[in-house]
Amino acid sequence: MTTPLILLPGDEVPSDYLPSSKSNPLKIGSGLRLLSQPSTKSKEPNHVLSATQAGILETDARRNTISLLSFPNRRYIPTTNDLIIAQVHHSSADFFHCMITPHTAQALLGQLSFEGATKKTRPMLKQGDIVYARVLSVGIGAGAEVELTCVNPATGKANPGGLGPLNGGMVFDLSTGMAARLLHASSSSADDDEPVDGLVVLSELGKKLEGFGGFELAVGRNGKVWVDCSNAEENAIKVTIAIGRCLQGTDEHNLNPADQKKLVTRTLRDMKLV
Amino acid sequence: MAREAPPALVEQEFILNALKEDIRLDGRGVDQFRPLNITFGEEYGHVKLQLGKTSLVVRISAEVTKPRDDRPFDGLFNIAMELSAMGSPAWENGRSTDYETHVTHVLDRVVRHSNALDTESLCILKGVSCWSIRADVHVLDYDGNLTDAACIAVMTGLQHFRRPDAVVRDGQVIVYGVEERVPVALNITHKPLSVSFCTFNEGHNILVDATRKEEQAAEGEMVIGINNGGEVCFVSKFSGASLDPISVVEKTDVALLKVKELNTQLDKVLQADLAKRAKLGMADESRAANDR
Repeated sequence: MTTPLILLPGDEVPSDYLPSSKSNPLKIGSGLRLLSQPSTKSKEPNHVLSATQAGILETDARRNTISLLSFPNRRYIPTTNDLIIAQVHHSSADFFHCMITPHTAQALLGQLSFEGATKKTRPMLKQGDIVYARVLSVGIGAGAEVELTCVNPATGKANPGGLGPLNGGMVFDLSTGMAARLLHASSSSADDDEPVDGLVVLSELGKKLEGFGGFELAVGRNGKVWVDCSNAEENAIKVTIAIGRCLQGTDEHNLNPADQKKLVTRTLRDMKLV
Repeated sequence: MAREAPPALVEQEFILNALKEDIRLDGRGVDQFRPLNITFGEEYGHVKLQLGKTSLVVRISAEVTKPRDDRPFDGLFNIAMELSAMGSPAWENGRSTDYETHVTHVLDRVVRHSNALDTESLCILKGVSCWSIRADVHVLDYDGNLTDAACIAVMTGLQHFRRPDAVVRDGQVIVYGVEERVPVALNITHKPLSVSFCTFNEGHNILVDATRKEEQAAEGEMVIGINNGGEVCFVSKFSGASLDPISVVEKTDVALLKVKELNTQLDKVLQADLAKRAKLGMADESRAANDR
């Protein structure tokens, strides 16, 4: 596919845009809803999908995934398999009750859904702690509970890496669209010449901040990004704030790659890091 | 849910640790306001204000009413402010919170009770009719420091507003329309503004114009209302950790500096808007002549 396909809510995904691989089951990402599946009974040979948001259709033939890259709005609607940063609100006997976004229904995170967690070794999270988790299920209908997990049920590992409680560092708010772009950019960093989604701010920061011991980053689809640079020691706070400001600046002003590089240089100079 | 969602522990800890090194999240200095952007609507007294991500709209309106019996020489002036769900998901329509009471109280004290608007000049005919000026504050988005933003917006609105001209002839009150006679500016006696301070780390860090996250991490708050001449018309320290008296005096100086800065900026935007209107008015007139 050469030209990007823009869909409006309610539009059906044209069948020639669907990834054609038959070996893997088709994985549907955010912004799309499955209307019917190919089966022996129905005449339709393909999946029928319709868009629930406006956005650009994204497909990955190798992994057989299809999703919608939506506009940078501020409202997050949980979708299965999204990686998010949730905040523990309180805990009960079996669950941690977590906030994905403020003022929405709380999501459930099992006390034992952490890597290697048993009744004795499970993490003791308290109110206000944050966890990097995956949306396990969103339920159907009104009042359905969103369930989170920090472990891959098939392998018992924190898969993809890094799921679990996040300690130290700082959380910055971004738009959900920017969070999606960051996740997309990090998952498909195959070639370095072509910036993914026009996003060079992270690689630029990585290059410039190498001398400070680099940084750790966790992006949540719910519009949160966690940054930790404890390696930078006495400069840790400055580096963290610089990263946060660069990401937020790129998000708010919708900067192009050249401006992103300028912003990084300017911010680092402003924070006296260069 | 009538409360803002609490910040994550790491956020709170990080903000406090950063302040120990005198660094704020957005890179501002301790005594620095966020960028202030003021625009005006088509009508007089319609102000849109943005202070960082806090944004609000103020409408000033005037009507002729009967003055209060105990003050026949005075006009009426009211500030109406309600925090609606539009501003933040934590606020509910029609239910007032402590925060709302606090903000309206500060506005009332700083703008109304300091006599910034000369209510005696609003009298048209003693005991019979007077102007009633009303300022409506609508919060569109909330990211901290609502008091200062609202104060600036109301004061700008009052200076921008023009009421219709009214005269008394043979005991009759005649109100002229805006087209008939040039509307009159309100009589502003002085220009007080509030400056809020948030304290952190046992009073070691005192910040001006805190964002919502900073406000949530703060241990105490203090509001100083002061005018260009350095006359303090309001000081409040309602809640939170105690504060060293010396820092109250020091911060009054800071507040004076800030208010002078802000008022200069306000004068500039008001002048620019007046000039724009004058030009438009002239263009309108010449167009009317051509029509004839």
